Amino acid sequence: MGFEGLLKELSAKYDGKVSGYSQYGCNFINVPAEIGKDVLRSLSNDFGFKYLADIVAIHWPKKKEKFELSYNLLNVDSRLRVFVKIALVEPEYETVTDIWKSADFLEREQYDLVGVTFKGHPDLRRILMPDFFEGHPLRKDYGLKDRKWFNSADEQNLGIKFTK
Amino acid sequence: MENISVKDNLSEIITVNMGPQHPSTHGVLRLVVDLDGETIVDVRPDIGFLHRGVEKLAENRTYHQFIPLTDRLDYLSPLSNNLGYCLAVEKFFGVKIPERAEYLRVIFAELARAASHLVWIATHALDIGAMTVFLYAFRERELILDMFEIATGQRMTSSWIRIGGIREDVPPLFMEKLAEFVSIFDERIDTYERLLTKNRIWLMRTKGIGYLSKEDALSYGVSGPIMRGSGVDFDLRRDEPYGIYDRFEFDVPVRQEGDIYARYQVRVEEMRQANRILKQALEQIPEGPVMTDDPRVSMPSHEEVYERMEALIRRFYLISKGFKTPKGETYACVEAPKGELGYYIVSNGEEKPYRLKIRAPSFVNLGAVNKMAKGAMVADLVGIIGSVDIVLGEIDR
Repeated sequence: MGFEGLLKELSAKYDGKVSGYSQYGCNFINVPAEIGKDVLRSLSNDFGFKYLADIVAIHWPKKKEKFELSYNLLNVDSRLRVFVKIALVEPEYETVTDIWKSADFLEREQYDLVGVTFKGHPDLRRILMPDFFEGHPLRKDYGLKDRKWFNSADEQNLGIKFTK
Repeated sequence: MENISVKDNLSEIITVNMGPQHPSTHGVLRLVVDLDGETIVDVRPDIGFLHRGVEKLAENRTYHQFIPLTDRLDYLSPLSNNLGYCLAVEKFFGVKIPERAEYLRVIFAELARAASHLVWIATHALDIGAMTVFLYAFRERELILDMFEIATGQRMTSSWIRIGGIREDVPPLFMEKLAEFVSIFDERIDTYERLLTKNRIWLMRTKGIGYLSKEDALSYGVSGPIMRGSGVDFDLRRDEPYGIYDRFEFDVPVRQEGDIYARYQVRVEEMRQANRILKQALEQIPEGPVMTDDPRVSMPSHEEVYERMEALIRRFYLISKGFKTPKGETYACVEAPKGELGYYIVSNGEEKPYRLKIRAPSFVNLGAVNKMAKGAMVADLVGIIGSVDIVLGEIDR
């Protein structure tokens, strides 16, 4: 089943709420946030997309829907790759760790860098930045040089005190 | 003291830190390991010690200026990183790459694969206790790095593949050295195999350890040799071909066992297949230009700049402002030595990417370490981490 066929079936299943397009050699599926988790689960269970390669969160401060998630899904058997795009008003969404285990690290990464909270994630902590870091560096309102120097570090972490 | 919890009267779970510095990791990685006696109960990788904010830097650089930063991710195979990024940017334009450049890209990517796997087999064997393989594999890696130096002037961070082609044609000496290398490499791989494949210590330290089933491999999103070692028959070079990989004959090694030994076998076979591709590329490579003449992305040559005003303006504009990509999103991925290396670029029509997300194979592969290590002995954790073939520069970005 190619991308067109997949779109037809998804569209029939979800009353035409799901739309898709191909751009620059990639296949994208737009899904409203309310049924996003259902569509993702259905893609995994019914359409064979057993492989979640990546999750990308994008910050659009000027749009009404300020955040966007893009799930990079691959069907290893039919070799079809689709990107499921979900637009969000608030930086909060449901976790998909119960569908794909790889979402564990990927959601933590997007939470850390873009600040999208995933509800139901078993262990949502910062992964790349230190625990005491303020802000989310990949948001557009976080400037390139907005980083703060840490004077007091958390002593829990490594037991090191930073001095000026 | 709160880390120590008493489970029952007989055993207690003790938390041990492995790292941040450990000889079996390429970079800085701390593993928080919960131990019940010598058995691993849980592993939590703590990463981010090398985080440089490469994705943020990409948003503040033109498309050309980002190429050197891709080298610094997986510094054991910088040319694969260059290739993945350039393919992603090229998808916006659909530029036609000259034939010779396509062949050189394949040559560079396969040499990078061989070099990366050589470092892997060397350090992995050293972790488990085989010193000789380390010396042999590094000897062959030197030959590859010499070739990179001849072609690019750099041994490791070469920034050689450009949007629209290759920076510059290779000198004749490169082709001579390459022909020499492909003629001896198969034999050298046999040497490593003679030292390891039936070695009793090697077998006992690798067989049945670090098991990852096929379902788990898919669910955890692991890619590359780990995925194929677990029985998933998938290789981006064959199944989502990019460049001119569909012209070459090669096999995708797959093993069903899903343990460290299977990953070892897959990687050794991949080195042989890389050599096979190199031989074919060496035979087929045509003469010709190595950079596209598409005016949207390519820099005009110096000769042109001296003669034509338009070329001067275009060169000035490309250097000072860069080029604009059309609006939209695209993704390109390559089969890097460690797995699926992808670049997701969101463009809003400016000279700089609006958002650039790197799908780093080591990062996702590291997520499966907990699954592989549960129930193993603490001494096997070094072997398991080694078999994942992580590079922390790529994980932390």
